[in-house]
Amino acid sequence: MTTVTVNGVRREIQAPTDTPLLYVLRNDLELTGPQFGCGLAQCGACSVLLNGKEVRSCIMTLGSAAGKEVTTLEGLPARWAKQKGLPDEEAAKTLHPVQEAWIEEQTPLCGFCQNGMMIKATELLERVSSPTVTEIKDAFTSGVSPHLCRCGSYTAIIQAVQRAGAAMAKRSQA
Amino acid sequence: MSDRTKVLGAALSRRGFVKTGGVLLAGFALPKVEGQQKPGLVDALNPGRPESWIEIHADNTILIRTGRSDFGQGTIFTAYRQIVAEELSARFEAIATVVSGDTDRTPDGGGTFDLLSHGMPNVRKAGAYVYQALLSLASDRLGVPKDQLTVEDGVVSGGGRSVSYGDLVKNQTLNLTIPVKGDISSMFGLTVEGDPPLKPVSQYTVVGKSFPNSVTVSKVTAKETWVTDVRLPGMLHARMVHPRTLGSKLISVGALDKNRFPNSQVVVKGNLVGVVAPTEWEAIKAAQQVASATTWSDWKGLPGDQRLFQFLKEDADWKKAPVATARTNRGDVPSAIAASSKKLSATYQLPFLKHAPIGPTMAVADVRSDGAVYVYTHTQNPQALRSGIALMLATPVDHVVVRTFAGAGHYGRSNGGNAGAEDEAVILSQALGKPVRVQWTRQDDLQWSTQSSAAISEVELGVDAKGALTAYKINHFMPAMQDDRLVGAILAGLPTIPAPNEIGSLFGIANSMHDPWVYEATPAVLESSFGTMQIGQSSSPLNVGLRDHSLRTPGQYQQNFPREVAITEAAVLAGVDPLQFRIQHAREKRVIGVLESVRQNSGWETRTHRPGAGEGVSRGQGVSVMFRSGTYWACVAQIAVNMTSGAIKVEKITVAVDPGIVINPAQLKRQVEGGAVMGVSIALLEELRFDESGVTSADWRSYPIATMADLPEIKVVLINRPEVGSYGQGSEAANALAAPAIAGALLDATGKVARRLPMKPDYVQSLLRA
Repeated sequence: MTTVTVNGVRREIQAPTDTPLLYVLRNDLELTGPQFGCGLAQCGACSVLLNGKEVRSCIMTLGSAAGKEVTTLEGLPARWAKQKGLPDEEAAKTLHPVQEAWIEEQTPLCGFCQNGMMIKATELLERVSSPTVTEIKDAFTSGVSPHLCRCGSYTAIIQAVQRAGAAMAKRSQA
Repeated sequence: MSDRTKVLGAALSRRGFVKTGGVLLAGFALPKVEGQQKPGLVDALNPGRPESWIEIHADNTILIRTGRSDFGQGTIFTAYRQIVAEELSARFEAIATVVSGDTDRTPDGGGTFDLLSHGMPNVRKAGAYVYQALLSLASDRLGVPKDQLTVEDGVVSGGGRSVSYGDLVKNQTLNLTIPVKGDISSMFGLTVEGDPPLKPVSQYTVVGKSFPNSVTVSKVTAKETWVTDVRLPGMLHARMVHPRTLGSKLISVGALDKNRFPNSQVVVKGNLVGVVAPTEWEAIKAAQQVASATTWSDWKGLPGDQRLFQFLKEDADWKKAPVATARTNRGDVPSAIAASSKKLSATYQLPFLKHAPIGPTMAVADVRSDGAVYVYTHTQNPQALRSGIALMLATPVDHVVVRTFAGAGHYGRSNGGNAGAEDEAVILSQALGKPVRVQWTRQDDLQWSTQSSAAISEVELGVDAKGALTAYKINHFMPAMQDDRLVGAILAGLPTIPAPNEIGSLFGIANSMHDPWVYEATPAVLESSFGTMQIGQSSSPLNVGLRDHSLRTPGQYQQNFPREVAITEAAVLAGVDPLQFRIQHAREKRVIGVLESVRQNSGWETRTHRPGAGEGVSRGQGVSVMFRSGTYWACVAQIAVNMTSGAIKVEKITVAVDPGIVINPAQLKRQVEGGAVMGVSIALLEELRFDESGVTSADWRSYPIATMADLPEIKVVLINRPEVGSYGQGSEAANALAAPAIAGALLDATGKVARRLPMKPDYVQSLLRA
């Protein structure tokens, strides 16, 4: 039995500890935001936040996530609500500014990679409130591997990150 | 209204009255159905039976159905809704539901390609028929002739009274039968017939606006049910153990280690080997263990990527397939070239490319004890897949249902039905009597899927002393482009459609003229296309080899690159600015229009050829043009070349697109941006690696694609021409434009011409040193 806090909830998980976290999330916990893209940590489709840092759940074992906090795409609204101290009824109808920006910019084409893109954007914007285009490109291409989009939505992603950053900065001042 | 009314070739009938609700169902009818069809085993649409296509509901909501599925274009959730709303004079938001792709829930079949059907997708005509039917109903209700009625936002007015569409159908069940032709389970599906009056473009209020894509919210909030999320009761997870080479036959299956994998099973059928387990992780590990102990025969039947172009030139047989020639050919090319003051003779080479979806292909199949077969997948052509599965199982097509879900885009790979894993899932499910989910690995997806054909083209052209193109000759050579056989069926030794051949297959091995000629001022033109067998297929004991399949802008990409690079080379010979040279040789004003647009919007510097710079970084500009599916395109690339390393950095891409009527500007802009990135990727990075036995590209390192670091500034200019009266195709072509423009920019920057792709640093370096 392995204990992991997922989207703010403590979960006891039966799966073998060498199981990649991705399969635990998708198959045991039915959190289907993260996608299987390569199983090699080369694309970012499976990304989640582990203690606030973007990691590739396809190569991270359940055992190495034990005792840590995992946030998936499903958990982004609650993460934002908690950070802003929003009351429950407001939190229930609030999306993360990153998700709102992704909708406003009509960022996804097929959308399969966008889970990882939104997770990476959240990690970046929690660290740098108004990133430049160079900082955004660096964030999405450094680390274990670049985040890949085969449909070529990179322009829309950059525009959405900047929109989300502006929205987050504005709400922090308010 | 009488009980049956003719509406311009469609038949409107009242099925009966109901107390609550009410609906107008717009279905279709084949002109004549031979014989009496038995009811299907599964609840699939029977082409002989009228069925719902567009539904007008009593609550004023509208539902539309299309056999085509979304592959990231968003067209069926935006443009299709806009087109139907426009023809109905209803609000966009009134079309509350779009049902797509499922073979038992949609009427018309067809595939996710040419979604706008040269301006006349089925939904447009269906909408126009329904509008006429609604006018007939309103005319009866209001006692006013049809031609004196007006409609706004789904409310019909006349004679001082008004009635909404919902009220017209309230408490009735009405059925409109629309004439169609074709075969629903073929690649192309059914086509609506007749010529119902269409709304004049001058009265458009919905088309032309940037409505958001209705699936974006569910995808961004993790509420979408992707195909990867489909879970059935009792479902087993599977991984495949594919043959070691593209021609290997199974010698012996590795014994499963039951101590380590007590819940796993191995399924073998012919050369098809799959490993299943109740949990995904056990299936993965067990499959790896079985694979390591499985033995295969050896096979070497491919030229290898290092000898690919030599093989195509010297070894491939281009004489078996009929030669295609362009309708625009004219003049006496040999004499004109002989008389030209300057001449070019050159060969252009394009490697195999992968569709390379971000998610490897996967599917869930459920072969039930009564013989019903359900396939859950992400396919561009559900009806064609359905007929392929039925053929494989030797079962009637009405025993098979294909349901489609959102998935990773794969850009043409499944436009003939099959993406890869569906048939394998069906075979395993049938063997085990349980639902099975087959997930391909990244390696499976690169090595066992189809690829975009490699190609070579040979050009001869002449330029006169005045700087005009006197003659242009091109011979295109490309192996068969479209293999829609189910690969799992091939491995298992089950029936499939024929491989591309000289006679029996849908597409055959013949090449076509894919890239329409746009330089009409040229006095002598001779364009021809030659086809041949897929490489290695007929010598493979599995009959597999390097299978090919259309990839975004199929065939035309392979023909447009050599043409556009050659035209830039001709401009250099002529001493004329390459963009101006193109304008001088064009006659169609829309070709000239897109060229003038990119000149104006890119910061193009009009100049004759500039000799290459020496040291450091050298910058250049290049241009390309294409006409595809009713749409005119031009592209300018501005690049920086590192003269030492040979690395190209694309700094800016400008694309002008004139599709006639722009349906949804914001969505089209995003499509073009994405296509441009794929174009940069194809130009600089992509090349299938293979040896004599099979594909050696196995992951994103051995098949790299563009990352955000490669992203140039992208400027998209949409040219809306309502007067054209038609919608051209918007989501293709953009991926093919960048490479010839970048090659043109390289020539401008360095004086060196890249006649093959990709333009990787070592290749560019070798050009610079030559």
